[in-house]
Amino acid sequence: MKLTRRDFIKSNAVAAAASVAGITLPAIKTATAADGDDGIRWDKAACRYCGTGCSVLMGVKDGKVVASQGDPDAPVNKGLNCIKGYFLPKILYGQDRVTQPMLRKTNGKYDKNGKFEAVSWDEAFTIMAEKWVAARKAKGAKGVGMFGSGQWTVWEGYAAAKLMKAGFRSNSLDPNARHCMASAVGAFMRAFRIDEPMGCYDDLEHADDFVLWGANMAEMHPILWSRLTDTRLTKKGCKVHVLSTYEHRCFELSDNSMIFEPQSDLAIANYIANYIIQTKSYNKDFIGKHVNFNKTTTDIGYGLRPSHPLQKAAKNPNKGKFNKIAFDEYAKLVSEYTVEKASKMSGVPKKNLERLAKAYADPKRKVSSFWTMGMNQHTRGVWMNGLVYNIHLLMGKISEPGNSPFSLTGQPSACGTAREVGTFTHRLPADLVVKKDAHCKFAEKVWKLPAGTIPRHNGMSDKVAQSDISGKPMGKTLIHAVAMHRALKDRKMNCFWVMCNNNMQAAANMNEESLPGWRDPANFITVTDPYPTISAQAADLVLPTSMWIEKEGAYGNAERRTQFWRQQVQGPGESRSDLWQLMEFAKYVKVEDVWPEDLIAKQPEYAGKTLYDVLYANGQVDKFPKQKVTDDRGNEYGNDEMDYFGYYVQKGLFEEYRLFNSVPGIPKKGHEMAEFEAYHKTRGLRWPVINGKETLWRFREGYDPHVEKGSEVQFYGAKDKKANIIFGPYEPAAEMPDKEYNLWLCTGRVLEHWHSGSMTRRVPELYRAVPDAVVFMSKKDAKKRKLRNGSMAKIVSRRGEIVCRVDTKGRNKVPDGLVFIPWFDAGRLVNKLTLDATDPLSKETDYKKCAVKILKA
Amino acid sequence: MSDTDKKHEMNRRQFLGNMLKTACGVGLVGMGLGIYSNRASSLPAHYIRPPGALPEEDFLGACIRCGLCVRDCPYDILFLGEVGDDVATGTPYFVARSGPCEMCEDIPCILACPTNALDHGLTDIEESRMGLAVVVDQETCIAFHGLRCEVCFNVCPIRGRAITLDMRHNVRSGKHALFIPVVHSDACTGCGLCERACILEEAAIKVFPTDLAKGELGKHYRLGWKEKEKAGGALVTPDVEHEYNLPEGVRYDLQGEGLIIEEKPEETPFSSNPLNSLNSGFLDNK
Amino acid sequence: MNICSLVVHTKPEKGPVVSKRLEKMTGVEVHGGQDADKLVVTVEDEGETVSPVSDTMNAMNGIKGVVSTILIYHYGGEESLEEMKREIN
Repeated sequence: MKLTRRDFIKSNAVAAAASVAGITLPAIKTATAADGDDGIRWDKAACRYCGTGCSVLMGVKDGKVVASQGDPDAPVNKGLNCIKGYFLPKILYGQDRVTQPMLRKTNGKYDKNGKFEAVSWDEAFTIMAEKWVAARKAKGAKGVGMFGSGQWTVWEGYAAAKLMKAGFRSNSLDPNARHCMASAVGAFMRAFRIDEPMGCYDDLEHADDFVLWGANMAEMHPILWSRLTDTRLTKKGCKVHVLSTYEHRCFELSDNSMIFEPQSDLAIANYIANYIIQTKSYNKDFIGKHVNFNKTTTDIGYGLRPSHPLQKAAKNPNKGKFNKIAFDEYAKLVSEYTVEKASKMSGVPKKNLERLAKAYADPKRKVSSFWTMGMNQHTRGVWMNGLVYNIHLLMGKISEPGNSPFSLTGQPSACGTAREVGTFTHRLPADLVVKKDAHCKFAEKVWKLPAGTIPRHNGMSDKVAQSDISGKPMGKTLIHAVAMHRALKDRKMNCFWVMCNNNMQAAANMNEESLPGWRDPANFITVTDPYPTISAQAADLVLPTSMWIEKEGAYGNAERRTQFWRQQVQGPGESRSDLWQLMEFAKYVKVEDVWPEDLIAKQPEYAGKTLYDVLYANGQVDKFPKQKVTDDRGNEYGNDEMDYFGYYVQKGLFEEYRLFNSVPGIPKKGHEMAEFEAYHKTRGLRWPVINGKETLWRFREGYDPHVEKGSEVQFYGAKDKKANIIFGPYEPAAEMPDKEYNLWLCTGRVLEHWHSGSMTRRVPELYRAVPDAVVFMSKKDAKKRKLRNGSMAKIVSRRGEIVCRVDTKGRNKVPDGLVFIPWFDAGRLVNKLTLDATDPLSKETDYKKCAVKILKA
Repeated sequence: MSDTDKKHEMNRRQFLGNMLKTACGVGLVGMGLGIYSNRASSLPAHYIRPPGALPEEDFLGACIRCGLCVRDCPYDILFLGEVGDDVATGTPYFVARSGPCEMCEDIPCILACPTNALDHGLTDIEESRMGLAVVVDQETCIAFHGLRCEVCFNVCPIRGRAITLDMRHNVRSGKHALFIPVVHSDACTGCGLCERACILEEAAIKVFPTDLAKGELGKHYRLGWKEKEKAGGALVTPDVEHEYNLPEGVRYDLQGEGLIIEEKPEETPFSSNPLNSLNSGFLDNK
Repeated sequence: MNICSLVVHTKPEKGPVVSKRLEKMTGVEVHGGQDADKLVVTVEDEGETVSPVSDTMNAMNGIKGVVSTILIYHYGGEESLEEMKREIN
């Protein structure tokens, strides 16, 4: 229906009269509803940003998103959004979207130092394949690498894992979740032998005490925070405990505020365990039945290059082994952490620590602990995650409503994609790992590939070295995100494909470890992104992508909820989805280019085929013929990948992934998913989905069908169905303030911008709200340096320097001796300052602790 | 039809009659605005004077239209009224939505003023009162609907004092909280940073000259709890301790939550008095 | 040009009859309310003559069965006819 201005005024006039007369006119209703909303097609999608997983409705008209709203029927957000979600449509329409492949060229030929020029997709993939095949042959499995994303859709992650692990026979695939969730994953695997939280967001309504361990939920998980706040406001006796190294927005609600000295959280967590044991509050029955006690190897270094002095000084660098001990020995190990000691190390008053310990130790109070980057981006992040599990396990406060240790995710599909379908260097789909020969063999069978295709972590299958196209033995194959940048710098890796993230801005120690490798003429760097990010600027080939609802997608949020959406609009220009790019690129590489003869001989029908034929046109992925995509209201949707490849690609990939959870003889149960079609009809389902039913709390009888009757609790990830309490002591941070570099630097996010700001900084309103990164510092520290609120300061570390304005009054109140700088600002790259020290076990960078000095700019 | 509706109808009828008599084509809304603008202060609502400006009438007398404040503003937010503007020609002002006052600690505009039209007695920018921010539209401000915005709160330079967030239960969703921005006139300087940052197409929080923005309580009335707080105790004789007739397990907290029914201990087949069990007559029934 | 909406009260059960009578007048449209004896009516002109809307409304009071007319909404814009006919959204 088209409206003239006259019709519009008239319909208002009629509506006004009808309302005075108290008459309902059906005709008026439609006229009013049509005010500007005429002809809009609404459909659901998962929000593009954080791990909360809010559902949104996007309104499309004439092929463009013209309207949006929070989805009122979504259980997570009930129609609400944060300020970023409010502006979702605008992230698609930034004025500088890349719409054509761009290659650095001089005089019509690729040149590392040339200027970017538009090229065809064919030219782009031809040169890329040439470089990749050469590097794979010359440098072995680690010669090529891909850096993926927790923002990939589920099938993109799955297709990438296949392309790298089975196609290129390389484990050089890691997601940006390495910077984000790797420590959480490490701790899940050590404590429970299976990944992802046992609880769900309903814990937010059921807990009596909330404990935030290094999570600024108020800004980073805004909708979850509003649920937590509501419980605090409406539930009698509910209390909030906040632990952080500086005062942030969560302190506005806090009942027990604790600012601790960086790294001393290790001591605090051990103190709480000690308190529980000293007061004999622990749940004897629970630990007797469901828990093993262990201690971990100590003095493990800082994940730096082996040549680094700190690495050389460590007694057991990178060792993660832990050994079973008796309860008494565990009790003795934590007994060192008295309240006096914890208080002295952390600077938190004793009474606050005791109050926290009492909340955990009171059997009548339900406690939910939440954490994100404060605990994960930590050189002892895996230990620290584990220490919190220790507390919950000692009390048996786990796997039931309100009693939940809950690791929150920062990305929309850190769980669904990065973790569940195997995009880490050491992983395969559904919690399988390349360390286990049997897991690899199972994956090869599902993928219809010859045994021995997937490179094992040590390059050995059935105790025999795997052969390789390089002619040399396969050797060790694992390489994590930080090591990839190091390998590029060392020319051990020559080709690198960065997809759906902005790693030049995100990775630590940019000047020393990121830029040199990227800009080395020996290396060829491809970046796939919708926008010309810092990474794109530092690349050699830039591929434009169709993002988010420009393709059919699926995300999995922090509470194991998998959510689907349809393709609602078309990407601009020649942009193509990441999925299309992965699959189309596979057509440019032949099996013979990357597989040795003896492997091809095992399955001779694959000779002469492309990786595309072998991986995707394999009778499984291409099983579902082309069809119309419609919703329950009869609206039709596009599906560019289906149109191009000729079959329902997304469905084929998802259903093949489901085989990892459903075929007979699966090595690990517990990741069951519903059928593809089911997800288009729901606001997401929380896995394991068994007989169409979701699982809210895992490992607890009654809630989780995998738990046998009469057993109450089973941590079935482990063979003995028990969880591990693992003692880890306090060990100092990698770099601490000294006389010269006399301040701690902590980095992080703000509510208005998401990660590197490549999307949110293109929304004018968000940019206006928070245009630039500032350095939050205390008034006293500012005064000492002759600075005040608003003055320009130079922040210098041993690795680089940046200039930004001082903020002594803003949202983050930092203690003396510590400064905080958000990392969203491409104009002030804080990762020039940070140190690439990682947790030696999870290989996740510690972005929260390094030393800087500040001068007047 | 109720009485109110009838009254309503009468008014409408009178209006219609008048309109027909005069054959006037102008609607009610237009008329109202005309009257209102005659009454309003001579400074239009969205023109804000620089920090330290004297009350409008005095300011117009003292300002010599030299433009030095405009010259010395490091953020170039100040304009001078031009002929035809709604603000006196040659006098300085800023418009919060496009260029709010950045609250320089050394207040260079005041230092530049040769006449004290901008009060030289003002040395702490946080004490300035250029205007007052008002959440003018609760219907469009997304915080009132439970969306997590709070941009005005986050950019406010008088953090936690000029704008606070009032946390309330979201009745509609049942499980989220609302974070409602509330402006406090005792701390708000009227700098306008919140109005500029408001992410709506038309700002829902706006800075107005204080006389337009501020309500005034009846001179006779005091808020009892504030007076008590000021005095540090009850203004009249403190209440005696009350005692009540109450059944067992029930308390009364006069100043707090009122009637408190204590949770009964979980039921067992036993009486709380051991003697009852001991003397239950078990042996007699042999 | 003018666009007005009115509520026209009629004598009991005269709604449908009055509605038909009103519809015969130029620029008048009845949008409903016949059953409630409260008609929702719009009157519009195209600005060619001097205020015919007020004439029309005056005339309505003379129609048999009308008890009262109440003006609810008035729009009196300066736009040209072309502008008003332009499609929006």
